[in-house]
Amino acid sequence: MIAGEVTAAPSSGGALEGSTGAASVPEPTRAHPTYHPEVVDGPLSVRALLRVDEALRLADAATGLTFSVYIGELGEDSRETAQRLHARLADPDVSVLIAVSPNERVLEIVTGSRARKRILDRDAHLAAKSMVAAFAGGDLGGGIVAGIAQLADHAGRGPTDD
Amino acid sequence: MTSEFARMLLILIGIAVAFALVLAGLVFAGGGRRSKRYRPGRPFTFTPVWFLSAPEEQSRAGIVRALRAATLGGRPTGPRETGGASDRW
Repeated sequence: MIAGEVTAAPSSGGALEGSTGAASVPEPTRAHPTYHPEVVDGPLSVRALLRVDEALRLADAATGLTFSVYIGELGEDSRETAQRLHARLADPDVSVLIAVSPNERVLEIVTGSRARKRILDRDAHLAAKSMVAAFAGGDLGGGIVAGIAQLADHAGRGPTDD
Repeated sequence: MTSEFARMLLILIGIAVAFALVLAGLVFAGGGRRSKRYRPGRPFTFTPVWFLSAPEEQSRAGIVRALRAATLGGRPTGPRETGGASDRW
């Protein structure tokens, strides 16, 4: 294991403080199936994992923002839980979190203070609409990939604040 | 029918049966795995996962941020301004 590497296994004390009913939260990992074999047992097929991994890399490289995807329980207050997850990222201001809870059928997109200037809330709503349409059809991986691509597209076209 | 011919016939039949058993075993072993496809309305029993494109860089950045906060006296950060969207299906 390289220095600074994180594992896909859920952390033992990973429950978010103050969250209501949220399950334990894993540490972030890459979607690439060979990076952590544990993710192969997850909800996405190997092909979908590769597509999500590529979409995340392309979105990060194209926009300079940090995109991440969480799939799991979000609890009763899904928005607050997603915001707490987003705050755990290294630089939340330029980060975008896509949190999906398949059991609760909830999607949350959280953008940081600088990221939201490039991905307007109405753009996030549009991406969310197309994502939930795919989720309703049972295409979890496809919806995530499409959402990342749309959000990255909006971020690339938006004004930079630097 | 000589005993030599009968023995050869049994060996050939044995090889064919063993090959069929191995194939059947492989088919059933593969079919017994849990389907990965998400199906709306059915319980989602997978372990939560969180994906990043470069988690090692995030980890290093987190360490740097923690060191910077410690250097600045560990000032507590207030609630961050966030945007985005919520939806259901």
